[in-house]
Amino acid sequence: MPSMNAKKCWRGLHAIVIVSMLVNVATAEDWPCWRGPRHDGISRESISPETWPAAGPAIAWRAMVGIGFSAVSIVADRGYTIGNQENVDTIYCLDSESGRVRWKHSYESALEPKFFEGGPTSTPTVADDTVYVLGRWGDLFAFDAHNGAVRWNINVAREANVRIPGWGFAGSPLVVGDLLLLNVGEAGTAIRRATGEIAWTSADRDAGYATPVPLVRDGRPLAIIASGKSYLAVDVQSGRELWRQRWLVQYGCTAADAIVAGEHVFLSSGYTRGAALLRWTDTQPDVVWKSKLMRNQLNASVLIDEFLYGIDGNDDEETSLKCMEFSTGEVRWSQPGFGLGSLTAAADKLLVLSDEGHLTVVAASPASFQPLAEAKVLDGKCWTAPVLANGRIYVRSASGDIACVDVRRAAQE
Amino acid sequence: MTLNRRHFLQATSTASLALAGAPFVHAGSKDKKYRTALIGSGWWGMNLLQGAIAAGNTKVVALCDVDADTLELAAETVTDLSGDEPRSYRDFRELLSKEQVDIAIIATPDHWHALPAIAAIEAGAHVLLEKPTGHTILESRATLNAAKSAGRVVQVGLHRRLGPHYAHAMEFLKQGRAGEIGLVNMFVHGGGGAELPAPNSEPPEGLDWNMYCGPAPLRPFNRKIHPGGFRNFLDFANGQLGDWGVHWLDQVLWWTDEKYPRHIYSTGGRPIRGAAVLNDNEQTTDAPDSQVAVFQFESFTATWEHRQFAGQGAEKTRIGCYFNGTKGTVHVGWRDGWTFYPANGKDPEIHEDAQLEEPDGHSISLLWTDFIRAIESGQPPACDIEIGHRATSMSLLGMLSLKLGRGVAWDGDRERVIGDDDANRLLRREYRAPWVYPKA
Repeated sequence: MPSMNAKKCWRGLHAIVIVSMLVNVATAEDWPCWRGPRHDGISRESISPETWPAAGPAIAWRAMVGIGFSAVSIVADRGYTIGNQENVDTIYCLDSESGRVRWKHSYESALEPKFFEGGPTSTPTVADDTVYVLGRWGDLFAFDAHNGAVRWNINVAREANVRIPGWGFAGSPLVVGDLLLLNVGEAGTAIRRATGEIAWTSADRDAGYATPVPLVRDGRPLAIIASGKSYLAVDVQSGRELWRQRWLVQYGCTAADAIVAGEHVFLSSGYTRGAALLRWTDTQPDVVWKSKLMRNQLNASVLIDEFLYGIDGNDDEETSLKCMEFSTGEVRWSQPGFGLGSLTAAADKLLVLSDEGHLTVVAASPASFQPLAEAKVLDGKCWTAPVLANGRIYVRSASGDIACVDVRRAAQE
Repeated sequence: MTLNRRHFLQATSTASLALAGAPFVHAGSKDKKYRTALIGSGWWGMNLLQGAIAAGNTKVVALCDVDADTLELAAETVTDLSGDEPRSYRDFRELLSKEQVDIAIIATPDHWHALPAIAAIEAGAHVLLEKPTGHTILESRATLNAAKSAGRVVQVGLHRRLGPHYAHAMEFLKQGRAGEIGLVNMFVHGGGGAELPAPNSEPPEGLDWNMYCGPAPLRPFNRKIHPGGFRNFLDFANGQLGDWGVHWLDQVLWWTDEKYPRHIYSTGGRPIRGAAVLNDNEQTTDAPDSQVAVFQFESFTATWEHRQFAGQGAEKTRIGCYFNGTKGTVHVGWRDGWTFYPANGKDPEIHEDAQLEEPDGHSISLLWTDFIRAIESGQPPACDIEIGHRATSMSLLGMLSLKLGRGVAWDGDRERVIGDDDANRLLRREYRAPWVYPKA
């Protein structure tokens, strides 16, 4: 969205929502990376919870991939995710129909469970028949998506000579043209996708834990990167920094991805930090508002039709699913009961996965909290956002249980 | 920018509601604003300070931390929540020399408890001191002595003496409703596995690593230590027994009329995590992944057990104390409240849910209110330094026995191990210059 102003952008988004509602179940799309094809946590697929059986939709299959927080990326009939068993990470390519392992690849990687279960925290990124994986300690792979052959492999922390932040690298790789952008170093590192060579890197300071978010301004591809102390805008081709917003968070935990809408950038973090809306028109952005009422500790909110929906609060306290007006920061409604859960949107509905494995479909409406359907899909802690692709919802627990929930209409009838 | 004041007010009032369980409690002191400083401004320190701010009787005048980012973030949060604009310090000595402080809150890592507490007391402040009261027993004793001789109130962060469900369980026990208690088991269990070393690195920018280590040996920086990992390093803390242990040992001391255990034996180690590593290139943690300690009192025995593998295991709960009596067992838990399991299986269980403040499940507002009551009334606080010292000593005797590899007989009146010079040497530690071990 190059020169669109925010209003236009919101209207555009609105139009997308309407179109997708018309297309309804006919729309099916892949989810090739963290936060989906448009990097906003929103699928254009529509789901029909009114057709769900009382006992909940069918679980097509379950799989066990090991400890970690990696979501599943889906392209065509294959899903990709990572887990850790006994200090070894394994990337799995799973058949999305059956859950059968198509291929897998393992590499040594410390579990390092500091305040959490440990294991991989990034999600594989799929582009042009290649799967890119960034492990917590800098192991970076490009795999042939068909057979798992390693196209290239480097340790990016070592090659770029930058430090690993306290909880390891958690941002997922972002594909921008020929480059792979990583949240490694203070303001990112770019890798040539073809060869695995470093195109540029940034200062040897702590990275944050969010995934780079792309945008285009004046025809130039840019990205918002979370460092340990700031959110920064960088030019993807050159690595040049355009601006930074200082953003200190307890433990350097800048984990939630920025949300970009036209000239606005929404930031949110947990602990005592809260949220802010920035407006970036010229050089340094201005803060439009600040609020303590939306603290996205781990997972980002989604922005639908001028309203944000997200989990406010921290691990080990009462949290709430909230609806917040984007332009003002005003909270429209707040609903406890999801723990430190996460969410994804399916067109005009929210798919909220509680930290105890309850999947709830909620209307994305500022009017009130309207739950439409609920199903218990997993046991144990769930901190990883659900993924909707081609009529199936993929959810994952910290211990590595994956459930594929079939929500295609045909499956319910 | 528009600082949306309403949001902050909303956030503040929500917090105080959650904290006090009643609308905006301004304690008894309507106009009195205690000039408060926080030394150690990380996660727990800010929880304590937010409890103080919510009570409405503080003015936050100063913050101290060895990490510049932590300090900046804490200052911004204080301003957001209270409107106060505290001055920031990297060294507690400078803070205490430049500021007039009524109350100092101390929430540094354990090895940094005694010196700042004693300095604050000597500067005339009342102190809210996080547990344990020392990293070695004589540090804790020195802090106690300083408080007594200066006549200052020191409230220790043993908020489990104030939380409603703990108090009700204790009432139940003291009424004899579990019968005669012969054995207490304390435990904290969790999951975990083998540990790999992490590479040492330069300390993060803005962290005064030399000051962080302070009186402890200077070791290479490692991300496992900071932020938030010091408890697993015995130079800076005392592992699980020195953390959770102090709370549960204190529950035992709250219940019994005896002041201290007579014999202590502990064993444990790192069978799962593996041998500790510390070299120029890399390190692991070095606290035990599992430990058993036996505390023999005159009239009963108490045991401590922790493990950081197998999760909850075969138990119904993973944390708390079992008070085992002739009529049944009382489990005093944390988030699971307390439960009485009658010896006669036909009798009904008795259970009360926990009432805790969030985030992190504590009773800080009650701890703070009681602290202010003690300052204003001249009566000792519920978690007086004397109480904190006893619970801390008990935990450190367990660690002392573990390190020594043998049991010890404790004379708690003289605070000496009986007939064991090696053990008595472990009541203190060598300080790294220029820091000087406090006089007990």
